[in-house]
Amino acid sequence: MAAAIAAGPLRRADRTKQMAETAIAPLNFKEAALELLPPGANFDACLTCGLCSSGCPASGIENMDPRKFIRMAMLGMDEELSTTPWVWCCTLCKRCEYVCPMNIDVSQLVFLARGNWPQDRKPKGIARSCHLAQLGDSTSAMGMPPDDFAMIVDDVLEEVRGEQPGFQHLAAPMDKRGAHFFVNQNSREPMSEPEEMVPLWKILDRVGADWTYSSKGWAAENFCMFTGDEEAWRNVIKKRVDAVNDLGCQVWLNTECGHSYYTMWQGVKRFGLDARFRMDSLITWYARWIREGKLPIDSRWNTKGIKFTVQDPCMIVRKSYGDAIAEDMRFVVRTLVGEENFVDMQPNRSANYCCGGGGGFLQAGMTDQRRIYGKRKFDQIAATSAAYVLTPCHNCHSQIEDIGRFYGGDYGVVHFWTLMCLSLGILGKNERHYLGPDLRALID
Amino acid sequence: MNMIEQPRNFTTELAVIGSGIAGFAASVFAVNRKIATALAGNSGAVAYTTGYLDLLGRLDGIATAVTDPWEGLLHLRQTQPKHPLGRIAVADLRAGFDEFTSFLGSGGIAYSRAGDRNVTALTPAGTLKQTLCVPATMAAGPRAFAARAACVIVDFEGLKGFSSREVVANLGGRWPGLAAQRIGFPDMARGEVYPEVMARALEVPATRERLATALQGVAGPARVIGLPAILGVHRPDRVHADLERLTGLEIFEIPTMPPSVPGVRLRELLEQALPKRGVTLIPQQKVTGLGFDGDGATLDLRDSYGPIRIRARAVILATGRFLSGGLEAHPDRIAEPLLDLPVTQPAGRADWYRERYTDVRGHPLHRAGIEVDAESRPLGRDGRPCSERLFAAGVIVAHQDWIRSRSGAGIAIATAYQAVGAAERYLRGSSGGLAATPSLNRQVVVPGE
Repeated sequence: MAAAIAAGPLRRADRTKQMAETAIAPLNFKEAALELLPPGANFDACLTCGLCSSGCPASGIENMDPRKFIRMAMLGMDEELSTTPWVWCCTLCKRCEYVCPMNIDVSQLVFLARGNWPQDRKPKGIARSCHLAQLGDSTSAMGMPPDDFAMIVDDVLEEVRGEQPGFQHLAAPMDKRGAHFFVNQNSREPMSEPEEMVPLWKILDRVGADWTYSSKGWAAENFCMFTGDEEAWRNVIKKRVDAVNDLGCQVWLNTECGHSYYTMWQGVKRFGLDARFRMDSLITWYARWIREGKLPIDSRWNTKGIKFTVQDPCMIVRKSYGDAIAEDMRFVVRTLVGEENFVDMQPNRSANYCCGGGGGFLQAGMTDQRRIYGKRKFDQIAATSAAYVLTPCHNCHSQIEDIGRFYGGDYGVVHFWTLMCLSLGILGKNERHYLGPDLRALID
Repeated sequence: MNMIEQPRNFTTELAVIGSGIAGFAASVFAVNRKIATALAGNSGAVAYTTGYLDLLGRLDGIATAVTDPWEGLLHLRQTQPKHPLGRIAVADLRAGFDEFTSFLGSGGIAYSRAGDRNVTALTPAGTLKQTLCVPATMAAGPRAFAARAACVIVDFEGLKGFSSREVVANLGGRWPGLAAQRIGFPDMARGEVYPEVMARALEVPATRERLATALQGVAGPARVIGLPAILGVHRPDRVHADLERLTGLEIFEIPTMPPSVPGVRLRELLEQALPKRGVTLIPQQKVTGLGFDGDGATLDLRDSYGPIRIRARAVILATGRFLSGGLEAHPDRIAEPLLDLPVTQPAGRADWYRERYTDVRGHPLHRAGIEVDAESRPLGRDGRPCSERLFAAGVIVAHQDWIRSRSGAGIAIATAYQAVGAAERYLRGSSGGLAATPSLNRQVVVPGE
């Protein structure tokens, strides 16, 4: 998806040209900051200790860092803060707040700053993704209409039924009223790698899940939050909430995607929407199905002792569930690859670094800055010596692949569903795109 | 069925409030005693530690530093009988240090054992201080200083808060063989460079190899190199050993100004090691409510996901002082915000500070804190324990000025040791006793009904 919608509005050459376009009206950051603060908190409490900047991979990019941002806000340097492109390099990951002894949250100011940029000055990749998501009923950031989605699901399903023994009766229900799970779908798969939808269908089939896709509100991405446009964010979430309510599903089950969970869960709270269902992450259900014996995966396939690490997506760990889901994820990974073959990144869980693909960075067209940001993730991965990174997030997936190539890493990135189906012996021939030769050799 | 926020409930035997050294040490002691424990608290002053574990480095009214802390404690008992360090048996103090440093060592941060005398250690400014236990990555510094070995202090382009020239300027007079060098850190973008970033990068073997080459290039005839504290965050002992192997040089770290690595190391190690031992950890969140009833205590807090309630049979309050929120300064008084415990403090605001900031007697405000009895129980306004279930540890306890006495870790570890001992006696003695096998009291996200 990154390649499809990436654009470069903030390349330096473009920036000068854009200055002639719409000016950015300075925002009063100090006033905004004071309004945002929780009761009892104040920015005077900032000790300027720099833990935020020290722990932020965006520090130094565009000559800015979180501590500097706060200090400049307190000094009234509104024009500089209103125009710094750094707000598009901060991935809103909230690690600065997490490590701050005073819990000062820089990302709220960055969010405001983003929203304050004129529409035509925002990074085109993010703005276009948001625009497309609002156009039709799909809420797809890649603009895939409901009929196309339904058709692709049908086509792929027909192919699997016809070509993969044992799956003649595989189902991928669409708009099934009263299904327990409303399963969303990142647009990347139906748009550019439809065969990647199949492993999850097989898993849902294996556990006997009562699930459905929806032709409306099915998409699992929401870049409107990253544009700082609250109304657009609300519009997308409202369509999705309505779609789940209309089908009467009990659980909105978020696929292996980080920000789609956060934007939905946070959006429902923020905008006071009437969501008559639970919002769950697929990870917690993977863990539950394994514990209940419904998903009989194990690590016996890993006869070569191939090493794996796991990326904790900020959006579902630090920003949402906290360490509890990180533990579920580790339970799944250890079961899947073997305790001895799992190597944790350092730091990890809620303290993990953003990969640099979040916050719309991957779609912002700021490739150089994004890769500088990603160096810290690359070092974390390199220190594990793992052959593969497992991550339940599409943006993490793309970014970690990209920095691996850029910095000369020797690792692959895989979805959970791929490895699970490998373990179950049901991974189709055309579902092995993300496997390296070492993994392919084990099953071919 | 609008289920956006799901309150999560935990039950445990002991809840520790505060994740500074006192709270972490209390949790270590508790799990070692097989007490089911929950730990909640946000990052506080632990982030700013040098990594040295001080017991007692200065005594009021004595101009020279304390070289024998055990003898110093005897003096403290006589001159400051209410001082928390004066209220613990020496054997317990040693046991507490040994138990805490052993735990850290097993996690990859080895420490020297508490000896009979203090160690003369280096500070970021090139001055000297007395401390009791030194991380293995820093141990060669005091040794090299004692031997006045030829040594090169190396700093890095773009690094603030640590200057090799400053170290040499301040220490060179007493250490003739000391020299300063500055190098670029391998593969680091230009601009400000943080110790934490360098430390993470040194966890990659290839970065260590490149740094080793650069260090060999500036070592000259010296066989000892002093670096700012950057030798990895996770398992620094391994990074240190590997760099010594690659360079063939003896290498030691010197603490840096915040934001520094040693505090991040301790926090990350403990936040990973304690849950592995069964501790329920709610990281980086402050407890906002604490109440007691006939059956136990209830703690309220929330994290990103929503409200959390912890039920515990006993509680250790280790919330620190002003920086961490354990004490609050109001216009007219110092208060303890969680239970409004009485705080021993100067009579009025005018008495908080003396006229001169550098007054050698220190400032009365810094000795403010809560009172505890011999069983580490905070006292209420009637002078009796506030609750039989409540214990206190760390610098929230009154009658000490830990910064001036260089005794922060000592007070934290000693009072945590005492408080856990008292809590254990309470838990074993009260109805129900302690479970023979500690219950696994962690709760995972359980989707579904």
